[in-house]
Amino acid sequence: MDYVFSILILVGIYIVLAASFNLIIGRAGLASIAHPIFFALGAYTAALLAIHFGLNPVLATLAGAVVAAVFSLMISLPSLRISGDYLMITSIGFQLGLLQVIKNIEITGSQGGLSNIPTPIAGPERGAVFSIIALAAAAGTVLLIRWIVRGPYGRAINAMRDDELAFIALGRDATRIKIAIFAVGCGLAGVAGGIYAFYFQYLTPEQYEILASGTMLTMVVVGGMGSTWGPVVGALMLVALPQAITFLQLPPSYMAPVQGMIFTLLVILFLFLKPQGLVSPEPPAPLAHRRAGRV
Amino acid sequence: MSVLELRGVSKRFGGIVVADDIMLDLQAGQILGLIGPNGAGKTSLFNLISGIFPTDTGEILVAGVRIGAMRVHQRARMGIARTWQNMRLFQTMTVLENMVVAPRDYAGESLLRLCLRPGTVRQADAEACDRALGILERMQLAHLADSSVTDLPFGQQKLVGLARALMNDGPCLLLDEPMAGVEGQSYETMRAVVREEAARGRAVCVVEHNISFIRDLCTSAVFMANGRILERGGIADLLASKTLAELYFGA
Repeated sequence: MDYVFSILILVGIYIVLAASFNLIIGRAGLASIAHPIFFALGAYTAALLAIHFGLNPVLATLAGAVVAAVFSLMISLPSLRISGDYLMITSIGFQLGLLQVIKNIEITGSQGGLSNIPTPIAGPERGAVFSIIALAAAAGTVLLIRWIVRGPYGRAINAMRDDELAFIALGRDATRIKIAIFAVGCGLAGVAGGIYAFYFQYLTPEQYEILASGTMLTMVVVGGMGSTWGPVVGALMLVALPQAITFLQLPPSYMAPVQGMIFTLLVILFLFLKPQGLVSPEPPAPLAHRRAGRV
Repeated sequence: MSVLELRGVSKRFGGIVVADDIMLDLQAGQILGLIGPNGAGKTSLFNLISGIFPTDTGEILVAGVRIGAMRVHQRARMGIARTWQNMRLFQTMTVLENMVVAPRDYAGESLLRLCLRPGTVRQADAEACDRALGILERMQLAHLADSSVTDLPFGQQKLVGLARALMNDGPCLLLDEPMAGVEGQSYETMRAVVREEAARGRAVCVVEHNISFIRDLCTSAVFMANGRILERGGIADLLASKTLAELYFGA
């Protein structure tokens, strides 16, 4: 049963990550791939606050979200001047640089990782409680993002993504919108980090490498860039798939390569055959207006 | 008082001078034609006014306020509305959505305001919707409000570009080749609406190659070449000018 719960928890966490990443890259078209580092910032912040100050896990997770949101300025401020490929390169540099810091300072446990994170819940119901927390966070994230993108704010985001120059020449402050989207998206990744830290009680820097960016990107692409439910489908598939492969009972040495091949194949197949992903983006809520044609 | 004033505005990109000591004074209700051969610096002048490039020297004032240090969106909020040669409509959006994001103050732009005062945002949105439909009705486009802009023929897309700019109710309207590729009914509508806007007190500046449109609409014009204003004055005098004929058609 614990196995099922840990998969449910991972699904919940990855839905939060994929949905918030989709807001940034799919909805707003901001080509950052540094999302895992904000997951890390949330996880390490929450864990360290709990270890050293005994902070309440809910507050520690919120603090993790705030730290991730504040660090997101380091991506969003450069993105005011640069975009597209250059933003992507900047974001990789930011991710790898910060990861080096985590790997090389003592307080984060360096290479060996951070262990002994206190758990708020013990006992047999632990898995069930964390599953509910993770899935509730996932549902909350998806609904929050859906609310953002379907309303007037989403309309502004669409317009900005379509033509930024025309957008600012109408009086819209694209800078503020980009900062806000990065802060919200990265803050949500920070929440996912906190939940991860308190359930698994152990963090290692390798989890936040470029490979993790690839996984999150695959979730978004396979699920459907810019769609509301796509990241849910993508996260489900990509968490479930490695588990399904274990049932094939392949020799352990084949496992990793087989998994890598399947992920890569998925991305290639989707980009060729179904670039819009499994779930097409839904149009924004239609603008309610008095019937046109009143002469 | 002048709505838009340019005092000695200059700009160069490397060796290319796109604006050389430009003086311009636009009054409310005036429709000023900006003519000249390709590469004269007409569109660049619009880009300098709307803040897409900073000026090297000189001052730009809107209703007496210096706007030189302001960013693009701040200038738009000061009341500089503009259109684009190639329209730059939001391709994934409907006609109405294109317009609803375009008022000077768009309530839905602030996530904070959306969270704290959703009611006022909704109301502002509804008002913007009504204004947009009013503008579309003036252009006989109201039936297309919910169409995707990419489904419209070129002439109507041009009209939507103007309609979107009109959502900015500021005093100054810059039109960049509104007539290029526009014919028939759309042409008539465009002319009528621009005239109406000026009559309502907007200062309008039009870059246009279509000389008959300029003659129809403008009372005065300036003639630019190589980033400089070579002549200015009444439209009839200017069109009769020798310099213009030489530069346009060769001596």
